[in-house]
Amino acid sequence: MEDDAGAVTRPRAAQGEVKADRKRSAIHFKAQHALVVAFFLLLFVFHALAVYLFCSGFLLSRLVLQDRSECPLPPIGLGDGHTPGSYELGCWHPKTFDKAVIILVDALRYDFTVPFTPAQGADTFHFHNALSVLYDTSVHHPANAFLRPFIADPPTTTLQRLKALTTGTLPTFIDAGSNFAGTAIDEDNLIEQLHRAGKKIVHLGDDTWHSLFPGFFERNLSQPYHSFDTRDLHTVDNGVNDHLFPLLEQPQSGQWDVAIGHYLGVDHAGHRYGPDHPEMTAKLRQMDDVFQRIIDLIDDTTLLIVMGDHGMDTKGDHGGESDLEVEAALWMYSKQPVFGRTNPAFVTPPATAKERPVNQIDLVPTLALLMGLPVPFNNLGQPIEEAFIKPAGKNYLNLAQVNRLTSAQIQRYHTEYAKVRSLDARMIAPTVTSWLEANEAWSRTSSSAAKTADAWKEVFNGFAAYQTENLRVFKSLWARFDLNSMSMGTVALVGTFAVICFYAQGIVTDPSELTPALLLRGVAGTVVGGVLGAGVSAAAELPFNQITAFGAVLVGIIATLSGLWSGREVVRIPRPTTFWGWLCTLSTLLLCVGFAANSFTIWEDEQLLFLLITFGLVMLMASLGLADAQDRTFGVINSLSFLVATRVASLSRLCREEQEPTCRSTYYASAMSSTSAGWQLSIPFLVALILPEVMKYFYMRTRNYQGSAVIWIGIILRLGLLITAVFWVVDAADDGNWYPQMAEETLTTARAYLAQTVLALAFAAGYGTYVWASPLLLVRTEEAKSAPTMTSKSLEPAKANAPVLTAINGSPQPRTKLIILGYANTHGSRYFLLPAVWVLALLLLQKPMGQGTLALCMVSIINILEVIDVNNLRRSPFGPTLFALLGSFYFFKTGHQAVLATIQWEAAYIPLKTLQYPWSPLLIVINTFGAQILCAIAVPAIALWKVKPSLPGLLGRVASAMATHLLFYAAVAVATVVEAAWLRRHLMLYRVFMPRMLMSITVLLVVELVGAVVAIGGVRWSMLSVCEVFGWPEVVNAS
Amino acid sequence: MSSTTKAPLAVQPNKPIEILPSPSSQLFSNLHPILLLGTLLFNFKTLVNDPVNTLLGLAPTIALLQAFYCILCLPPPGSQAKGSAKKKGAKASSDLAGRIVPTFLSLLLTLFLSAPALYILLILFGAPLTTHQLHTILLALHLALLTTPHLYYAHGLVKETWFQIASLQIPVDEVFGMTLGACVGAWVGAIPIPLDWDREWQKWPVTIVGGMYAGAVVGKLAGAWVFRGWRVKIS
Repeated sequence: MEDDAGAVTRPRAAQGEVKADRKRSAIHFKAQHALVVAFFLLLFVFHALAVYLFCSGFLLSRLVLQDRSECPLPPIGLGDGHTPGSYELGCWHPKTFDKAVIILVDALRYDFTVPFTPAQGADTFHFHNALSVLYDTSVHHPANAFLRPFIADPPTTTLQRLKALTTGTLPTFIDAGSNFAGTAIDEDNLIEQLHRAGKKIVHLGDDTWHSLFPGFFERNLSQPYHSFDTRDLHTVDNGVNDHLFPLLEQPQSGQWDVAIGHYLGVDHAGHRYGPDHPEMTAKLRQMDDVFQRIIDLIDDTTLLIVMGDHGMDTKGDHGGESDLEVEAALWMYSKQPVFGRTNPAFVTPPATAKERPVNQIDLVPTLALLMGLPVPFNNLGQPIEEAFIKPAGKNYLNLAQVNRLTSAQIQRYHTEYAKVRSLDARMIAPTVTSWLEANEAWSRTSSSAAKTADAWKEVFNGFAAYQTENLRVFKSLWARFDLNSMSMGTVALVGTFAVICFYAQGIVTDPSELTPALLLRGVAGTVVGGVLGAGVSAAAELPFNQITAFGAVLVGIIATLSGLWSGREVVRIPRPTTFWGWLCTLSTLLLCVGFAANSFTIWEDEQLLFLLITFGLVMLMASLGLADAQDRTFGVINSLSFLVATRVASLSRLCREEQEPTCRSTYYASAMSSTSAGWQLSIPFLVALILPEVMKYFYMRTRNYQGSAVIWIGIILRLGLLITAVFWVVDAADDGNWYPQMAEETLTTARAYLAQTVLALAFAAGYGTYVWASPLLLVRTEEAKSAPTMTSKSLEPAKANAPVLTAINGSPQPRTKLIILGYANTHGSRYFLLPAVWVLALLLLQKPMGQGTLALCMVSIINILEVIDVNNLRRSPFGPTLFALLGSFYFFKTGHQAVLATIQWEAAYIPLKTLQYPWSPLLIVINTFGAQILCAIAVPAIALWKVKPSLPGLLGRVASAMATHLLFYAAVAVATVVEAAWLRRHLMLYRVFMPRMLMSITVLLVVELVGAVVAIGGVRWSMLSVCEVFGWPEVVNAS
Repeated sequence: MSSTTKAPLAVQPNKPIEILPSPSSQLFSNLHPILLLGTLLFNFKTLVNDPVNTLLGLAPTIALLQAFYCILCLPPPGSQAKGSAKKKGAKASSDLAGRIVPTFLSLLLTLFLSAPALYILLILFGAPLTTHQLHTILLALHLALLTTPHLYYAHGLVKETWFQIASLQIPVDEVFGMTLGACVGAWVGAIPIPLDWDREWQKWPVTIVGGMYAGAVVGKLAGAWVFRGWRVKIS
């Protein structure tokens, strides 16, 4: 401990002078404090601009338009005598089929479906020549069937493919404006159009469909199956068969209009064995047989479609954009002769997927028009020619009509999209010309006398060219990384990292002395740079937002660094100098490097446990080496407590998909639910009982359990935690419908009120207590027995941090002494009320399991503070870095992972019944980053724990600790951003690297804001109240 | 309590341990790392195939190697505190019983004190709690065999000495170097486990066993030749 004994020895100067002196010191402190907070906010601004720059180049986004295509409203005048608006006859175009059987064979690669004659020396593989019915029918009955390669847009994952196959649009990372919470598709799509047309839709197989289109399928006929167990080749397929074939026969054949069957066996065989395996042959043979049977059973008005959603690579996996992964197959079949070829040579399906492929989105307008539906609003695909040219192969009029309709719909989408988000005029210019030309040709041909097939063919070609051009434009619009913007963002991130690094570890003297100069230069630089950037962008016609932001952040960083340069006699190059410094640097570095590998990113929770235990072990070892026996025992006990708490918390897990099957989730009642188990409801009660008791113990040890500490920790916190526990029981009763006789409204209202009470306690009562508390001291006067000397000794010598007797004797005459109980940890205990206030709100917003772990996090924080104290590490980077690791670790232990799917959206409804802005997003942020927020708020306590009340330079120490804390998050952000940019073509980009990168930049911004405003901002009141009592430290004039 | 009063603990076994000077001692001391690493490499394939039985089968061999190392190479217990090592060494070589008993005791302590403690430590570090218990127990046993018998033998059971050992205050020598090396090696050995290379040797606890054996040998050599007398200086 740095100082556990102290005496107030102020010469009895004139009272008035002292008062004035204190007032001046307080004003000086407030000003200095405000500047430090402002400096951290400047760092936040730098980071925010850097993140904006990077993301605007990296996150491909598409605006989801909510418009729907309507049956009676074709996008253009029909001009062919067909009356729009009737589902019976066909909405925009005469329909061909009443019913459809759509078979989706997951991972049906094109080369599985075409015959293979081995060339000289080449081998046949197991996947060759096993599935022949598709090819044979199209060759022998060209009017009844056709087979074509079917190209997917990456990512080749089933979910993304189903979206494209039903909406007709392209995948991007964020479909801005769509419902982020659920996976349900909320833009116009085929399934919804079928539903609106009154068609009864049956779905069998992969349950992804049900999460995409909840409520659209016939309940009693549909049968979803889980798609996760890739080792199981047969359950899903046999299940689909068992339900599908009865549908095709009487009496069930009249109960549905569209049947969708999604087979997973081929995909699973690929994942498990790879395509070149006897199991794949068997699976494809089975599929061959299934299709044959369906062909036999369907009637004349039914369209049969078989398609793959994607292919598979040589190992049988998919997700990326390699040729083998994007090359699926599409086959259509009908008992009526309706299909044709524009060229007799096209009767034989292409030998490879490189010839005559169609895009997967082309299915959307094709199917819509064949079934008499309007083309979905956001569709970018074009009708497939075989389906509309008719058996003779001459009906170009029909082909031109469907292409004109689809083009017109695309043009309507174009117009609507351009209304909401500006499109670069230069980029879309070719499509505009192309559209005008095609329309010109249409009106010319329809008004002319000679309506030859060749003339119509020209019209068709015009519209086809428009659609191809349009697709190209939108692809480049949505699928292009802007490397310039990404580079600017990365430069800004690295620059800000350098600023924080110097500020945290490079300033030899008090950083708060240097802060005003840095802040002034930084702000001035930002403003000048912003103006400069705006000017440059206007002059050189560069994108205004990006260049202005980059100018601001770049000049701002350079100006701040120049401030460090001008103070260079007190600045050194930051580098680790102690064992602890090396430990922190190497751990951070190791983590950062690890984020370049998907395995390490996936198993981050286990790595953090490993690192935390390493830190805990080192704390234990260091404590064992302490000379003082009491210090040693206390340090050892706290280290052990930290180790055990960390390992116990690690048992709370929520596994991400990639961690299966070696990871078992314990966070919720079961792997498939997001509600807590019954026994977990007891955790909040245990927390309410134990956590305040533990905090009380540590306050008691230093005799700081006085005044406001008793009120907050002893009464309000206990009460709040108890209400929290009751809240979660009520919540479970509400969810589980335990009391069916009670109106649902009653419980819902009750739980909202309970939660609001807790939040009111935390933020109104809690902050009130924190702001107005006096230092947690008790002053006693006693008769002095000895001569009037100044003494201070421990009250209970047997105990380590026992309270301290301090005799104050200004003048020799009166023989009394003042005993100040709680002197040893005046600053620390006073400040720590703030984390104690926040922990209540943070706990409320966690699920029961998360409350248990977050409480362990709070205990660990105190353990660390005590170990830091006995080993005198409060100025080392150890504490702040360990707190950052701790916060990151408990992020995972409160039921989160670095994926979007684990965001606990329900947290928004804890104190609210409906969605309310800005509160709902705020609540989700606090729930998600609760652990990091708690740890960030505790950081100032590292510098303040058990220091002499009048120690000079405390504010600087707090600032340096917080900057070191931020350094960890800034390092992780730089690493993940650079790695995500570097790996932007990696297979796992969307699943692993991009979510982790998004998480680190969000955490960085949240922690920075909380650290500046809540933590450092909060130091103001604790230091003011302590220094009002003990006087201000001598102001060291930096000359 | 206060930083200014903090000083190293009172008792100071502060000289690096010297290996006995006799040719046989020197020979075995040099042979020892080769034997350790050789035993593991020779059995590596079976270790990957059947970790439990291999580790169990290897344990007596390793214990014997460590015992020979203590008996043949290290100055007998208590000799460090008194007199010069040279004199002691010459005298002690005749007194075999006086070396076998402490060696035996060291191995007993390793089995019943170090191994359980290291088992707990492995669990803390994230070793599987409900499965693979035998794997982890045997891993702890091997780690204990590599880290502690020679420490018990050379430093005895003085509490203060062990506080110093735990807080890395004693100077590095080949005995302490082997311990540190084994620990660091085991730590590093855990790193490749999560990688998705689908290699057979990535399974629990093969990488850690490999890491700690390699670490022990490297640590011993480095402690003997490079870092002799150096202190880690945590605080």
